[in-house]
Amino acid sequence: MKLWAKLTAVTVLTVLLGAGTAGAAVLFRSVEYNRHREMESCREQLSVAAYAMGREMDRTLLKEYSPAAKNSYLDFLLQKFGSASYILLENGEEICNQTLYRLKDGEKKIWQEEQAWSRFQKLEDGYFVIAGQSIPSGLDASYTLILIRDISDLYRQGKRQLAEGTVILAAAMLAAALLTFLFVKRILRPLGELEAAAKQISQGWLGQQVQVKGRDEIGELAEAFNHMSQQLERQVEELSQVADRRKLLLGSMAHEMKTPMTSIIGYTDTLLHVKLKKEKQEKALEHIYAASTRLERLSGKLMELIGLYDNDSIHMEETDMKALFARVKELEEKPLEERDLSLRCFCEMEKCLVDPDLMESLLLNLIENAARASSPRETIFLTGKGSTILVEDQGCGIPEKEVGKITEAFYMVDKARSKSMGGSGLGLAICSRIALLHGAALKIESTPGEGTRVWVRLRKGEKGEDGNENGNSGKAKQAEEEADHSGGNSFAGNAHRLQQEGRGGHS
Amino acid sequence: MALTKILVVEDDPSILELICMNLEAAGYQWMSFSDGDMTAAFLKEKDRPGKEEEIALAIVDVMLPGKDGFALMEDFQRKKIPVIYLTARADVDSKVRGLKGGAEDYMVKPFEIRELLARVEKVLERTGRMRQKLMIRDVVIDRENHVVTQNGKEVLLKPMEYELLLLLAQYRNVAFSREELIKRLWGTDYLGESRTIDVHIGRLRKKLKLYDSIKTIPKIGYRLEDLP
Repeated sequence: MKLWAKLTAVTVLTVLLGAGTAGAAVLFRSVEYNRHREMESCREQLSVAAYAMGREMDRTLLKEYSPAAKNSYLDFLLQKFGSASYILLENGEEICNQTLYRLKDGEKKIWQEEQAWSRFQKLEDGYFVIAGQSIPSGLDASYTLILIRDISDLYRQGKRQLAEGTVILAAAMLAAALLTFLFVKRILRPLGELEAAAKQISQGWLGQQVQVKGRDEIGELAEAFNHMSQQLERQVEELSQVADRRKLLLGSMAHEMKTPMTSIIGYTDTLLHVKLKKEKQEKALEHIYAASTRLERLSGKLMELIGLYDNDSIHMEETDMKALFARVKELEEKPLEERDLSLRCFCEMEKCLVDPDLMESLLLNLIENAARASSPRETIFLTGKGSTILVEDQGCGIPEKEVGKITEAFYMVDKARSKSMGGSGLGLAICSRIALLHGAALKIESTPGEGTRVWVRLRKGEKGEDGNENGNSGKAKQAEEEADHSGGNSFAGNAHRLQQEGRGGHS
Repeated sequence: MALTKILVVEDDPSILELICMNLEAAGYQWMSFSDGDMTAAFLKEKDRPGKEEEIALAIVDVMLPGKDGFALMEDFQRKKIPVIYLTARADVDSKVRGLKGGAEDYMVKPFEIRELLARVEKVLERTGRMRQKLMIRDVVIDRENHVVTQNGKEVLLKPMEYELLLLLAQYRNVAFSREELIKRLWGTDYLGESRTIDVHIGRLRKKLKLYDSIKTIPKIGYRLEDLP
């Protein structure tokens, strides 16, 4: 049942019950009241008539009359007192009757008192009030005077009024139904628009808007609907962007894996089937080894990156940054020495709330990147001051227009060089992800030919008060927004935002 | 006799070396570039007189630094050099684009080296650039006249023996299984014993005294070895 039908039915029922009951009650009461008045007036009229009649009967020498003369005299008296509405009884026997009413036997004996009283009698041909009283006279026989009044008109009028009332009620009901119908239709029209818009959305036409009319609940609903529609469109767009980026990442990952695979398959195939000189055989083995280690490294980095997507992958604790720097220096010194590079560490930082393992990984990745860009005998600087860490090299630098893209997974500025130095294209993607988890900002500045500087700005005032998960998420989001503004948006960033929004929605 | 020269354009050094290593073993000469712009410059330079190096075929990667493989097609066509694309791009659109652009063949990485050699040979045959004379030590196979000579003297071979020798010589240093040899010589519907090949190999070894060159490779099959 449609809402308009329900509301109309309820209104009609209300009108019927309300107006109908009230009208019927009023009508019934008024008929009752009139009837009582009639009965009252009958009594009064009767008592007056009975008294007068008694006097008349006393005055005349009625007992000396012959029965026939007495009867005609009484008949005459009755006519004199009233119109054709009296019955006279003598010792309970009817002696004069001017009315059309015929008394039943039982009725003849009930009026014995000298006090007039009336009763209401419903007969087949109408409604009557019957009043009776014995006439006070000094005669031997007892006389009873009975007044009959036909009040059928009263009831006829009542019935007529009832019929009229019913017609008026029906008209009122019809009018109420019509008004309700129109009103409800008018109110519900925006709901129809909402329904149409919702259907469109469900068919994939996102971003539908409805026109907001009025400030009632439906107007509010329309507004809420518009807001929802907007949000939905925005989120779906974001999702599809993330999906696109993910697809891109998968694509580039497949491509990155294909090259070493091609190498391994090609060289093993060659070694199996082709006669080669000894030194060529060794070379083939070297290539196989290099390609396999590259694959191994790639999968390791990928695991690291994927691991960073777990929500609980970060465990913040108060960390002595000096000790962390010392550990990084210890780890990197040997490999750098082999490449004839030197690392200078300088730390003036106090204890910071970071995840020591992830921070170490971040610094190692940055230093390795710096080392890959550097030429022999150059120096890499690792400086920590306040809440900022700076990794600086004197290497080949990054062209300006590429700086924004280098945090994307598998993006490599100089592919051949990066690969020959053991780069996977994932280092900076991991770095920016770690920075994000810390709510830190990663800033890269580079001058081609002169070197690159990478700043990691940790959030200030992070000591203790909000080391919980939510606090971090909020910061991460803020930092990510900053990253968005600087154009250094990464795959990691969007996926993270999505996760957060997902989380926000559930809690 | 000058060896047939093949140009290889590939930016990944290990794959470049893989291709060149195999071309060399199969008896081709090669030259290589790892950059699209340099390749284009080289092809332009060839216009000048005195640089008449004949290149029979080019094996080209699509994704290259500088000019990409599809863009290089124009330069190759001007020099009438047939092109085989060898790329990691496996999507149909790229394949269609490459072949419609005028490439003779399109191969997707990772590839099998014997397939690459077979396709090189087929493209050379199709474009009339196949090696007319193949030499293994003192044996010369003249494909034009279907004649095999050793030290200038003609050696009489039965047609099947000639085909087998030709196949082994074309893919010298590459090992073939007996089944593969049969498939290539008699087609896929051959129902006979795969050991038939052994008989033919035996006759070839005897007639041409190639006991050292035609090697039996355990578990694989046969290989005509002749390292440059």
